[in-house]
Amino acid sequence: MGKRWGICLSASAPTTLSIFYKSLWDCHRIVFKGGFKTTNEELFKTLSDAVVSCKKDNVIAAVEKAKGQAPAVELIDNGLAAGMNEVGVLFERGKLFLPHVMMAADAMSAGVEMLQDELATGEGASTKLGVIVNGTVEGDVHDIGKAIVSTMLQAAGFEVHDIGRDVPVQNFIDKIKETNADMVGLSALMTTTLQGQKEVIELLKENGMRDSIKVMVGGAPATDAWAKKCGADCYAENASEAVAKAKELLL
Amino acid sequence: MATEYFLRMGDGQKIFMTKEDILADIESGCADAADLGDIPTLSEDEMDHMLDIITAPGRIVGVEPGLEVPVTHDIGAIRIDGDQGNSGVGIPASRLVGSMVHERAFGADTMELGHIDYSFKPVKPVISQECQTMESCQQNMVIPMLYGAMPNMGLYYTPDGPFENPGDLMKAFKISEAQDSIQHAGDHGIRDMVWIMQKLQKVGSDGVNFDTIGAAGDGDVYASLNAIEQLRKEFPNMYINAGMAGELVLGMHGDLEYDGTRLAGLWPHEQVLLAEKAGANTFGPVCNTNTSKTTAWNLGRSVTFTKAAVKASNIPCHADMGMGVGGIPMLETPPIDAVTRASKAIVEIAGVDGI
Repeated sequence: MGKRWGICLSASAPTTLSIFYKSLWDCHRIVFKGGFKTTNEELFKTLSDAVVSCKKDNVIAAVEKAKGQAPAVELIDNGLAAGMNEVGVLFERGKLFLPHVMMAADAMSAGVEMLQDELATGEGASTKLGVIVNGTVEGDVHDIGKAIVSTMLQAAGFEVHDIGRDVPVQNFIDKIKETNADMVGLSALMTTTLQGQKEVIELLKENGMRDSIKVMVGGAPATDAWAKKCGADCYAENASEAVAKAKELLL
Repeated sequence: MATEYFLRMGDGQKIFMTKEDILADIESGCADAADLGDIPTLSEDEMDHMLDIITAPGRIVGVEPGLEVPVTHDIGAIRIDGDQGNSGVGIPASRLVGSMVHERAFGADTMELGHIDYSFKPVKPVISQECQTMESCQQNMVIPMLYGAMPNMGLYYTPDGPFENPGDLMKAFKISEAQDSIQHAGDHGIRDMVWIMQKLQKVGSDGVNFDTIGAAGDGDVYASLNAIEQLRKEFPNMYINAGMAGELVLGMHGDLEYDGTRLAGLWPHEQVLLAEKAGANTFGPVCNTNTSKTTAWNLGRSVTFTKAAVKASNIPCHADMGMGVGGIPMLETPPIDAVTRASKAIVEIAGVDGI
């Protein structure tokens, strides 16, 4: 609140009095609260902690309190999304589980929704992080690992179109066109179906789409070396890494 | 220039590193396991021993005389033939012949009979065939012959099974429905696994290998432990191995318990206690290989997890070692240099009772 008030005063009435008031307020914050930066850090931490609690009510209360005290984009990036990243770390460490990840994602979505108006008009108005089509290649019926990756990507803020498992090669192409996707995730759990990932990449080339889309491969037999060999842009070892690599390639 | 030693990445790629760099990777892998599992890291002596094993000049290494352990081979019965998309050497051979070759030529101490689908659920419609083959094996072989399959709860979800896919439900934020589905699939799985093993025990099977417990998360573990408990009650003398799918039980459900202990998030030294409580005779600790790290890092991590499990366990631990587990690279036919080094380390440092 202090930061915003100070900015408002100095922006609308750049007088000696306003500068005095701002300075006085700054001193107050520094002495009693540890300065603007710390205040924002506390704010962000409250939001982050609320997401890590995986409780929607906590997130709604935290966003209600934080609204207007910092730009909505910052509240999301440094608060809610930071909390979601922490949830990802705890998931990887076996401290939180898939239902918690989903509850946290649901809570975060509710928080983001509350900031939508501000986001649409405010500084740094942002949209989704990117569009990703995700699926298990043809001949491979394994679903669970790919579903976790989809969930984590969705929770991280990507628009994910999970087209299931045993997906015919052409379906990947069709869905990418339909959604104007930025990335495609190809999963395979068997050495015998790994080749399917390459087939999708080859078809992307044939359709002249390869340069406009990033390709991520994953699944038990996939490796970094295989990603290079089959012409993918990256390989992800697990769901958390898939999120990190997607951000690396798309943001 | 410092001498460099040959080792591999987790994906099998050949690399060369100095002793200092290899040791640093071993320490880092050990530290990762210690941090995640809240368990002790290896001692300096143990890490030095691992370094000696990795940098040993020979292409293959072996344990010191007197430290040999029993070895078995999951689904080895079909690996001689391997004409159905699995890894085999293409020599036409029945499952009986494959098992006998393992017993009499390869030195396997125990074996298991497995079906090509290698999950319990698809065995139901072919149970008579499985019983007949098991009986033939028992009549022709001396070593203990178990039946092996994956609990694989994934096959109980749509479109393969009757229960709604929890992955789809989760994505739609239907969390309690997803949890219900996992629980129902687990209960169904228990009935199937017990029924299948009742049939196989009647034709003389020596026991069962639950292979890759937890592959579909905590629901898989829930079903397997309860099936083990029921089988132990019904067949007090049957031999039961509980082999895991990974070092961490993934929490797909999150709240499932066995005997008051939450299953999600358990590490090998915690998993083994429940396997023992359920009635397993042996436990198969597993640590998955990270393909982006070196075999030194992976072996350090694997041995640290496994050693903690061995220490916590009152039953023998038979580590799962092979393609993509136990510090061995993720290759269909894992390179023998890495396989023998990982095996020697898991026996001599982690102290496993079998592989």
